[in-house]
Amino acid sequence: MTSLRIQVNGKPVETDVAPQTLLVDLLRGPLALTGTHQGCDTAQCGACTVLLDGLAVKSCSMLALQAQGRAVTTVEGLARGDAPHPLQEAFMACHGLQCGFCTPGMLMSACGLLRQVPQPSDAQIVDALEGNLCRCTGYVNIVAAVQQAAQVMAAAGEEA
Amino acid sequence: MSTTVEAGRYGSGKAVRRVEDPALVRGAGRFTDDLTRAAQTHLVFLRSPHAHARIRNVDTSAALALPGVLAVYSGADLVVAGVKPMGNAVPFPRPDGQPGASATRYAIALDRVRYVGEAVAAVVAESREAAMNGAEAVMVDFEDLPAVTDPLLAIRAGAPVLCDQAPDNIAAEMRHGDAAAADDAFKRAAHVVSLDLVNQRLAPSAMEPRVVLAELDAASGRLTVTLSSQMPTAVRDGIANALPGLSKEQVRVLVGDVGGGFGMKTGVYPEDIVVAHAARSLKRPVKWCAQRLEEFSASVHGRDVVTKAELALDATGKVLALRTRSYANVGGYAMTVGVAIQLLIGPWVSTSIYDIPAISLHLSAVMTNTTPTGAYRGAGRPEAIYIIERLMDAAAREMKLDGAELRRRNMIRPDRMPYKNPMGQTYDVGQFEKMLDQGLALADWGGYEARRAASKARGRLRGRGIATFLEWTGGNALSEQVTVNVRPEGLIELTIATLPMGQGIATSFAQLAVDVFGVPIEQIRILHGDTDRANGFGSAGSRSLFTGGSAVQVASERTVEHAKELAGEALEASPRDIEYRAGRFAIVGTDRGIGLFELAAKQPDARISADGAATAGAPSWPNACHVCEVEIDPETGAVELAAYASVNDIGRVVSPTIVRGQIEGGAVQGIGQALCEQVVYDRDSGQLLTASFMDYALPHADTFRGFETVFDTSVPCTTNLLGAKGVGELGTIGATPAVVNAVVDALAGTGLGGDAERVQMPLTAPVVWRALHGDFDAVAWG
Repeated sequence: MTSLRIQVNGKPVETDVAPQTLLVDLLRGPLALTGTHQGCDTAQCGACTVLLDGLAVKSCSMLALQAQGRAVTTVEGLARGDAPHPLQEAFMACHGLQCGFCTPGMLMSACGLLRQVPQPSDAQIVDALEGNLCRCTGYVNIVAAVQQAAQVMAAAGEEA
Repeated sequence: MSTTVEAGRYGSGKAVRRVEDPALVRGAGRFTDDLTRAAQTHLVFLRSPHAHARIRNVDTSAALALPGVLAVYSGADLVVAGVKPMGNAVPFPRPDGQPGASATRYAIALDRVRYVGEAVAAVVAESREAAMNGAEAVMVDFEDLPAVTDPLLAIRAGAPVLCDQAPDNIAAEMRHGDAAAADDAFKRAAHVVSLDLVNQRLAPSAMEPRVVLAELDAASGRLTVTLSSQMPTAVRDGIANALPGLSKEQVRVLVGDVGGGFGMKTGVYPEDIVVAHAARSLKRPVKWCAQRLEEFSASVHGRDVVTKAELALDATGKVLALRTRSYANVGGYAMTVGVAIQLLIGPWVSTSIYDIPAISLHLSAVMTNTTPTGAYRGAGRPEAIYIIERLMDAAAREMKLDGAELRRRNMIRPDRMPYKNPMGQTYDVGQFEKMLDQGLALADWGGYEARRAASKARGRLRGRGIATFLEWTGGNALSEQVTVNVRPEGLIELTIATLPMGQGIATSFAQLAVDVFGVPIEQIRILHGDTDRANGFGSAGSRSLFTGGSAVQVASERTVEHAKELAGEALEASPRDIEYRAGRFAIVGTDRGIGLFELAAKQPDARISADGAATAGAPSWPNACHVCEVEIDPETGAVELAAYASVNDIGRVVSPTIVRGQIEGGAVQGIGQALCEQVVYDRDSGQLLTASFMDYALPHADTFRGFETVFDTSVPCTTNLLGAKGVGELGTIGATPAVVNAVVDALAGTGLGGDAERVQMPLTAPVVWRALHGDFDAVAWG
């Protein structure tokens, strides 16, 4: 076991992990942050996407120890206090989810995009979601939700 | 803001936010793998690497010696423990008149494996890692047998045989219609078209892998199984039937959030039984979580049928007869549902919205060394509609007629309703030509040549396709029951056995309850997924709204009527003088009254309860006109969707936002079949080559976003209380033929002509590029 110090959703976490522990397993297991999902074994589905120092990464394809000293944001850390994040708000407003299993990963990938590109084109949104699979929605409303969130945040002068 | 105004905003027909969403967008959903029990153990399956092999021996001793391993089960261990085989009766005859046949399917293979991925052992350990190590240490002595994965090869003499009772590998066979009448029509026909059509095998691919968590209450002996399923009651019954000395009453099945179902999470799976058995014997909670690899190899597949399809027409384009010969690949074990989908359910809609006087359908369900097939969104109807819609376009091409015009000439007119089709299925209502007209207008059918010219100017080949069709919904499970409890804290709970899996039925049901109770939607709670509280068929076949929703309305109305009597007692007035409005009972013409929830608080058990049930009289028959335009890059063969317009006759709409999501999301699944998805087995070894999302191409975010979707609600279904028609599968069924017809149209326009009909799904860039160069994969009929 190795000592790990990271920040998760703004709070410091100190724990011991086995060297082979994946970040997703640390999050879902010992940290009980089950909003991050696992939908495949080959880093294709993107349901496990989180932010690492603000960049979207697939938490199934990195070791927990690779996050040493860095800041992880999961879907549970997206809301702003009691208020949903504009992305969460837009996904609800645009019917951007059906079963909701892929949704946390979609939200985090979209959040990573909006931090890099606050006002993306639809094509940029589609490109950023290339690594996230959804079987229910056909993606139409997901892309619309990300675009709406970007516009709402731009109008309010907010950052993702 | 009055309560009435508030309620009016959330009743049926209004676009509302889903009640499911706030938890899901916060990551606070309750999917089965999110649960962890004290002293929980982990189960891992060892699965067959062989497509076909005899199991000589399973040596579990090395695995059992590993640290953390608690138990190892082979197929023989389960038999010794009294676990019964899976029930998989095939209720259709074989060609020789004998009963339908399938090899006996055990929850863990006993002496033979019949597909890659069939479970051969299960290991339970303190951790998932220990269980995986244990599975690696199980020594299985396999004797490899020749395998066959192609149904047209499996029926040939000398092919490997999967089941002794079916030496030809044909599990069952059906003939429908009047073969002599059809043959006669073909002799008289002015035009005959014939197509070889491959409806390829698909992996349903719900994003949440299956998860099962079983735990035993030692004191009562009751078993609680929590899992991701569309049919909790069927799972409960299946587990109780399989495990020795266990009654249905001793099994409770719980279902939380379900991360997509699409038909593949219906009924009991072998894994459910193994996990339940392990929890019973170890007396500790046992959890199994499928890897995606297991989902691809061991969850049911859909479709997989190859058909020679023929249409006979007279000189005016009137269809005289439909004749098909189909071979469905139902996998290593012929399962009841998988066979019924191909031999019966698909044929029910084989003539679709057309008045076709004679049919002759001959269908065989063939066993091969592949994963068993079962329900996948549409389940038989996509196959049948694909056949007739491809034939319609082929006939129009042959006759040099507009495809829309040929369809129009054959549509069943509204004055023929109710209309009984040649399969004995009765359509209650349908105005098919009206849908066609609206679809053509929406798609600007008349302006197509200009768009084609514009595409050509950009070096692209444009094509357009149309599908006009109907489908059968309801699963022939047409009854549902709802229990209502009004609670003093201001909640109305409705308990029902239908099961949400992403289709938002809690929202739709809540809207229907708002209609009756007149309270804000926040005060309605829809409870489901607990066999101790409600039992029924579950959610499949696009049935939930028109069966369950009807029951919601009945039960809600009965609750109000019952509460009126209670209000009469409380107010010392006759119930006849009591009126109910927006959460309050009042004596007519006075200001005396009592609130619904206040009334509930006054009751001896502090609630107002009532049950209600509803039975739809028949399936509902949603129908639609879907029009698609594509562009092909002739340099690469890549197909891009350019336009997609649909007009959908779906009767009454309760939740417009949800319905649109069902139709468009469903259409993308149908587009997936048309353009990219395909389960592939290696023909010689029987290995599954598409066992990950690397190799099995699901539609991605770049698929298409320009849907124009219109509902026509002017033709309500007459056989259910709501007037609603099922919409869960409509988009999927229409999209596949609309897209493929568009691609074939584009190919035919290059000079390939009728040869373009030879192209087979999925229409990937290489397939289309080869077709452009006259290179097609022919169906290898025996």
